[in-house]
Amino acid sequence: MTSYIVGYTIIGLIVAFIVFCILVRRQVIFAETPKVQKIFAHPLLFYSFRRLASGLISFLLAILVTFFLIRLAAPPDTTCDTLFANPHIDQMVYNLRCDNWKENMGFSGSTIQQLGKFFYSIIPVPKSLCITNIDTTLGMYTISSCRTFIFDFGRIYKLSGTADGSFVIDYMMPRMGVSFSIGILGVVVEMGLGYPFGILMARYQNGVFDRIGRAYIISVDAIPGIAYYYVWMAILCAWIGLPMRYTEGSFASWLPAILTIGFTGMASIGLWVRRYMLDQFNSDYVKFARSKGLSERRIMWIHILRNAIVPLIRTFPSAIIGALLGTYYIENIYNIPGIGQAVMIAINSSNTSLLSAVIIISALLSIISYILGDVLTAVADPRISLSKD
Amino acid sequence: MAKRRNPSVLSDEIDWEKGAMKEFTPDPNREVLLSVRNLSVGFSVRGKRTHVIRDINLDVYKGQVLAIVGESGSGKSVFTKTFTGMLDANSIIYSGTVMYHGYDLTKLITNEQWANIRGKRIATIFQDPMTSLNPLLSIGYQISEVLILHRGMSKEDAKAEAISLLGRVKIPHPEERYDDYPFQFSGGMRQRAVIAIALACNPEILICDEPTTALDVTVQSQIIQLIKDLQKEYGWTTIFITHDLGVVANIADDLAVMYGGQIIEYGTIEDVFYHPAHPYTWALLCSLPQLGTKDEPLMYIKGNPPSFSDEIIGDAFAPRSEYAMNIDFVREPPIFKMSDTHWAKTWLLSPYAPKVEPPLIIQELHERMKMAADELAHQEGDNYAKPSSR
Repeated sequence: MTSYIVGYTIIGLIVAFIVFCILVRRQVIFAETPKVQKIFAHPLLFYSFRRLASGLISFLLAILVTFFLIRLAAPPDTTCDTLFANPHIDQMVYNLRCDNWKENMGFSGSTIQQLGKFFYSIIPVPKSLCITNIDTTLGMYTISSCRTFIFDFGRIYKLSGTADGSFVIDYMMPRMGVSFSIGILGVVVEMGLGYPFGILMARYQNGVFDRIGRAYIISVDAIPGIAYYYVWMAILCAWIGLPMRYTEGSFASWLPAILTIGFTGMASIGLWVRRYMLDQFNSDYVKFARSKGLSERRIMWIHILRNAIVPLIRTFPSAIIGALLGTYYIENIYNIPGIGQAVMIAINSSNTSLLSAVIIISALLSIISYILGDVLTAVADPRISLSKD
Repeated sequence: MAKRRNPSVLSDEIDWEKGAMKEFTPDPNREVLLSVRNLSVGFSVRGKRTHVIRDINLDVYKGQVLAIVGESGSGKSVFTKTFTGMLDANSIIYSGTVMYHGYDLTKLITNEQWANIRGKRIATIFQDPMTSLNPLLSIGYQISEVLILHRGMSKEDAKAEAISLLGRVKIPHPEERYDDYPFQFSGGMRQRAVIAIALACNPEILICDEPTTALDVTVQSQIIQLIKDLQKEYGWTTIFITHDLGVVANIADDLAVMYGGQIIEYGTIEDVFYHPAHPYTWALLCSLPQLGTKDEPLMYIKGNPPSFSDEIIGDAFAPRSEYAMNIDFVREPPIFKMSDTHWAKTWLLSPYAPKVEPPLIIQELHERMKMAADELAHQEGDNYAKPSSR
């Protein structure tokens, strides 16, 4: 009950806020209060609304595509066969189990009905869902463990380490948590190193640091990712002596993964920062700023860096949000129970719900990071038009 | 091809340089602010050395409006960039001095050493206002930062002063435009904002490097007028680089004509326009479209300017000149002084050179200029009659 109240209150507040902003903008209310006008009719706010609306459409399309993709790639009957066919069980029991699975997975009923259920389970409104279990000896359905969800991504069957019929979201949440803790620290390292790296290379172009840096970037580029990760693994674990396997709660065991992400990612960040900075160095406004008598330090930090960062701002949200999705190789080599391997696990174990959940979540996250990237770029660059045309 | 005049053999018995200036001396009646001696500048391009400025001597006098004219590639911009250390990284100053307040500017290397000169004492207005302002910072901020830096103002004072400067350069509603970004300004307004920044520097010398070339014609005259008015008000010493002789006549006191990295003639506007001495100056004046009449073809200078990489022997203009003499291909002409204010670098002024008459247009220049001016006044009258488009 509480989830319903909280859920619908949040939805109501969002709708009320948007309606309020539109009314302020149309000057229906608070037309005479410049302060309110300034905040709630800000072009940036409406720019964000428009981007959100178009993002919502993209998201719905992504759900639609996923729905058909799953049914095309893994037809329910075939999957049922893979999961439950067993020469030692009765055909009737098999049918019961299969029907129960289809029911719980949303594969029962006509395509339109299935599509409706699929959308309903994913769109963020509060809903209550229960697992129906089948007692194969009695042939009776029993309803057990109801839960309230905002998002529901279905159930997991026949996956080692999880009970049949457990919720996908319960499987994913802790794993995304692990991936995010490691990923976000990796992003901190790669940006924390990558930006000063690029700035210093640009500042002392063709100097010793720049040459070494460029050599490093080329080596990261040239060596295939997976081989490169093993090089870092060798350095960090075999040579420095950090633990090779991930252990929950032991920060030292996180370090190899974090540093591997950081050291690899800093190369491409450094490359782009250097490139954008050098583009600015030769521009007329820098020459004019110099002829005004500004110090090199001021030209560097106030004038050049700002202009060089604008095209990179877009990458901030996607780097941070992308950390939620984990990385396949790094989680694999350091044995991290993250979400990065979920796609492979889902495919290998024929868990279509888990697969569609990963696809939809990554679609949602990339749409959100695009929108945030656009809005942040618009904040940083006054030249970007916030109006419709 | 140029006709060879004076086929005399270059014997050592004739002192061709008789009457030439042995040592470059300034006009004794004026106060020298900046003095350039034997300046040679070039660039190192892919291991090759070029010569862009060749042994220039020049004095900039206090309060003077000096125009430097010459075709593209004559070295006008490079020459003035040595005054503010704005030369590109691959430039080399081969020789010479630029003395300013007892300092030799050619000896300054780091940007820290230049910080005291740039903006504060010598400010520059560049050619293209569309790109000389930082696109991400507000116009007001870019003016204020100069006031805070050079005049030690507080943020609030700087803002107030910046708004008044925007008003000075005739930007309407300056207090509303303070927070605008460059992309919200038109080309002409951006150049006004750039001039406001120069005003904020309050320099002793203002270098205007083709400030109107990138603007359309109606805006050009407004900007020229603005610079002229402000120059009178603040009394800056102004160096005006242009290839538009019309602008020169309008704004400058003195004129230096550059060709092939050298100043080949120098004098007051009167001197150079009515008594030009160098064949290149003649050619330049003849090719002024304003002075042409309807029934005669437009004049132009045949041939190409000298290459930066080749060594010039003799007079740089000789290969293109109709008045070239044998000596012009062999020996570089010295400076011949015609008066305290007027000198030229051509063998034609040597006492042994044959007397040549300048082209007809030059002789008629007085009348032709008067005609052109009348026509211009007529056109401008039309322009003012129309309602302003802005």
